Amino acid sequence: MDILNAWIALIPVTLAQSLILSFVVLAVMLPFRILSFPDLTSEGSYPLGGCVCAVALIAGVPPLPALLIAATAGFLAGCATAFIHLRFRIHTLLAGILITTMLYSINLRIMGKANQPIFSEPKVYDWLSPLSLSASWTKIVLVGVLALVTYLVLNLWFTTERGTAMRAVGANSDMAEAQGINVWRATIGGIGLAGAFSAFGGGLMVQSQGFADVNMGLGVLINALAALMIGEAILGRTTLRRQLAAPFVGAVVYYQLISVCLAAGLPPGDLKIATGVFVLVMLAAPTMGFRRRNAGTPAKESFRE
Amino acid sequence: MLKIKDARRVFFQGMPDEKVALDGLSLTLARGDFAIVIGSNGAGKSTMMNAVSGALMLDQGSIHINGADVTAMPVHARARHVARVFQDPMKGTAASMTIAENMLLAEMRQNPARLRRGLTRARRETYREHLSYLGLGLEDRLDTPVSLLSGGQRQSLSLVMAVSGEPDILLLDEHTAALDPRTADLVLNATLRAVTALKLTTMMVTHNMAHALEYGNRIIMLDAGKVLLELSGEEKARATVPDLIGHFSVKSDRMLLGA
Ligand SMILES: Nc1ncnc2c1ncn2[C@@H]1O[C@H](COP(=O)(O)OP(=O)(O)OP(=O)(O)O)[C@@H](O)[C@H]1O
Ligand SMILES: [Mg+2]
Repeated sequence: MDILNAWIALIPVTLAQSLILSFVVLAVMLPFRILSFPDLTSEGSYPLGGCVCAVALIAGVPPLPALLIAATAGFLAGCATAFIHLRFRIHTLLAGILITTMLYSINLRIMGKANQPIFSEPKVYDWLSPLSLSASWTKIVLVGVLALVTYLVLNLWFTTERGTAMRAVGANSDMAEAQGINVWRATIGGIGLAGAFSAFGGGLMVQSQGFADVNMGLGVLINALAALMIGEAILGRTTLRRQLAAPFVGAVVYYQLISVCLAAGLPPGDLKIATGVFVLVMLAAPTMGFRRRNAGTPAKESFRE
Repeated sequence: MLKIKDARRVFFQGMPDEKVALDGLSLTLARGDFAIVIGSNGAGKSTMMNAVSGALMLDQGSIHINGADVTAMPVHARARHVARVFQDPMKGTAASMTIAENMLLAEMRQNPARLRRGLTRARRETYREHLSYLGLGLEDRLDTPVSLLSGGQRQSLSLVMAVSGEPDILLLDEHTAALDPRTADLVLNATLRAVTALKLTTMMVTHNMAHALEYGNRIIMLDAGKVLLELSGEEKARATVPDLIGHFSVKSDRMLLGA
């Protein structure tokens, strides 16, 4: 009973957090699933977004433009990863690690220090203050709406001619090229878009917690991956809609699972092992035959090298 | 019209296993020509196709399509002029996407992608009609992922995609070689119908000499990266399978002597 009560008490906080982080999960899903470009850049573009957003707020930039500047910085980071993969034939994972490593120094340079409080600066969440909701519910409503809009816009985008072309690059890049699609442009644009989402999430988080920290990206990638696996296990990947919804559903469910672990008294230090176990179970499930029959994972995947 | 002039391409240049895949190859196809390309393994047929599509850049020489120099044009820019069907059915389609989406991609070869709705009702109707010519029932499976189709169905789809939009040049590189005889026949017949009906300028690679004699208006035989033999009109009509095979043996004799 205590566990249940503790968990319920945590729901608003964890729900707000998970909605913010769903943008990072989206930033992991897009390269991995849509572009067949497994990418680790979000580990760097998330704190990049946070740091850029904090510095912009300190400089007096209003909260929404600050978020957009953060997203632009993330977009450039993603573009850089895609470019060094395409131009120098460096493996996508390695390209992402390189950019993430370099971003750490860049983030430190941007802020000039490791930690930047932004307690007194205006936040996007202030917009909803007339509703006089609690702090957590304010965030849930605002970020929830942003997530929903993002989901709907992505659904539209990927059914346009250009969006279809971008998906084709992930599905079969040689074939896409032979159909007149500029593979470089689609890849750089797509990975850039993912970087923008990750940095946007970083900006939202910074405005939510009231400070930016160069280490805020630590482990965000594995959490995002865990959330994605859970989302895909629940929804399957049979249609574009399900694939696009998986990051959001997965983020919410994953952080509730973590919250249950915390409520049950698991020391925070043990959370990483819990996360690892979640990912492992999700990845192992299809091979052990207790995943839904029609969850629909293609038999074989080929990624770019 | 396609014009290949003095095309040269060397693999592993300057290394012990240096390989001259195209050795000053020149070739001109008039608009509407249907050329059957033959030649022994390693003669350079696929290399020539790759050079025309842009998948492979030449070391020397030039390629013109309808008078425009495309020698340095990358694959995606050349796609407006050139369509191709590969030997491997997996290569020509996007497996995880639906039949309709693949058809849409092919359509974008002529009209580069824009920010507007992809699969409109009108387009789906057109695709349904184009696919119905195959007689495989693919027109009723527009929303099926291509990964669920058989190799023959996928290759047929690749063919429909390649001829959609009536490309200036159609390249077929042993596109029926991976199929069982019945399906190969089906795909070949669909090819012949489309090429004839649309009067497409086509190069088709085959190892089947009977096909080479029966179809198309020209035979082009490659050997060691050059054109060894060209037959058209009367000459082609009079040629026989043993004639063609005779030219192969010349080559293998020389290979034996050279060895
Ligand atoms: N990418 C490559 N790298 C190195 N050598 C190559 C490459 N592509 C082709 N070659 C070589 O160039 C020569 C011509 O090959 P090509 O594939 O054009 O022959 P082909 O006429 O299509 O033969 P086949 O009938 O077997 O398909 C061969 O000796 C081949 O080994
Ligand atoms: Mg070949």
